[in-house]
Amino acid sequence: MTEAPSGRPMIHAVKVSQVFERADGQEVRAVSDLSVSIPAGQFVCVVGPSGCGKSTFLQMVSGLRLPTEGRLEMDGRPIAGPSPDRGVVFQKDSVFPWMRAIDNVEYGLKCRGIPRAERRPIAERYLAMVGLSAVAQAWPRELSGGMLKRVAVATVFANGASVLLLDEPFGSLDYVTKRQLHDVLLALWAEISGGMRRTVLFVTHDVDEALTLADRILVMHSGHLIDDLGVAAARPRTTDSLLLPEMVRLKHLLLTHLGLEAGRRVAEMAVAG
Amino acid sequence: MTDFFRAPQLAFYGLSDTGLLDSMLYTACNVLIAAALGSAIGSLLGLVTARIGFMRAITDPVMLTAGTVPILVTAPFFLIWFGTGRISSVLLVTIYVTVILYIYAQRAAENLDPVYEDSARTLGATDGRVVSDVLIPAVVPEILGGVRIALAGSWGLEAISELLGAQYGIGKIVQVLAGSADIEGIFAALLLLGLVAVLVDAVAALLISRIASWSVASTTDGDSR
Repeated sequence: MTEAPSGRPMIHAVKVSQVFERADGQEVRAVSDLSVSIPAGQFVCVVGPSGCGKSTFLQMVSGLRLPTEGRLEMDGRPIAGPSPDRGVVFQKDSVFPWMRAIDNVEYGLKCRGIPRAERRPIAERYLAMVGLSAVAQAWPRELSGGMLKRVAVATVFANGASVLLLDEPFGSLDYVTKRQLHDVLLALWAEISGGMRRTVLFVTHDVDEALTLADRILVMHSGHLIDDLGVAAARPRTTDSLLLPEMVRLKHLLLTHLGLEAGRRVAEMAVAG
Repeated sequence: MTDFFRAPQLAFYGLSDTGLLDSMLYTACNVLIAAALGSAIGSLLGLVTARIGFMRAITDPVMLTAGTVPILVTAPFFLIWFGTGRISSVLLVTIYVTVILYIYAQRAAENLDPVYEDSARTLGATDGRVVSDVLIPAVVPEILGGVRIALAGSWGLEAISELLGAQYGIGKIVQVLAGSADIEGIFAALLLLGLVAVLVDAVAALLISRIASWSVASTTDGDSR
């Protein structure tokens, strides 16, 4: 496993587990004894097959679901519930249909009691950064799927969260829109807020997406963290970056973890103990 | 025999000296009061019970029974308890509207995707804000759709309740005219009732499209149900 880059841990998980009880009474360990330390400013992708617990882990970091075992902290403080410090872009569309695009982007600031005269320019700036100035007054039903994701991304960035959690945000989008949104996301991430870059936790099952975006890739399988890989390739990354020998090696490794390539899966070894 | 503004002939049948207009106003006023009361009570109960399980366990059996039993069968009780005044018919229609709005509001709150409430919370919304900024605006179009449906049924219910026992109203006029076989008069009264119902529905549709302009349902106009 690759060493995580040094720095102050922004997210710190110690033996975190999430145990559900299914309707039939059977116990399911969605996340099992997961320990990880994520320094501030790092862009981390979490990959793994469906049902591996990656979204559950993200929900625990967001505070929408509390761990049933273990300790989970942000910036040294335990995570006890949702907080505007940790913005979430959900897999489903979460843009409020009853608010215009600009009002959606403003909403977090409104909740925090920032007066309209101050929050409007902030919302306008972030809408401009995601390329949606022209549709600021549009209703969400008038926007495309890609535009709605842009609004959602602008909303969490405008709210000034220091940690951003994205749960397969671009999974339902076409290839071109997805690539455009990667650029938007990376441009926003490059912005310095409060003296540092924001910390990003990005859940995806798309290996190329992870390699394009991440400083570090966490691989999950059956609720376990089975690998922790550093991605050293320089930014900005292009199509050619993915052809570098190191990236090709990482891709093969990730595909093996996902069970898509031959070789004994680390997953099986890890789960078997 | 009847007249739009004044119909002294009706006094002969026990009605006070009045015309179709006054009777129509009496009926419309009752319907609107009952619709407003029933919508408020039904929506509130529906929303609260959609989120609080034990309250729902109490209200659901009552509401579902009230929704299954034809509400008109209770009319004689109201007449006995409250007499032939305004209260009896308003109460009857209010119960009808309450049951419809209870079901509409409860269903709307249940169908609301939890992602909106989760998203609001992660943006820093308090419980109060989640209710005022997410739950209520999200359910408004469906509730207003329910109000239109309830209004449509209310006219008939109010008229029938007046037929069964009242001192004023279009229903009373129809009852009196039926007694004297005045077919033209009955037609005039029914036509007027229908006309007012359609007019009120058009105004309601206009208001809904203004209030819920964000919703797709409101822009297709008319009733998608």
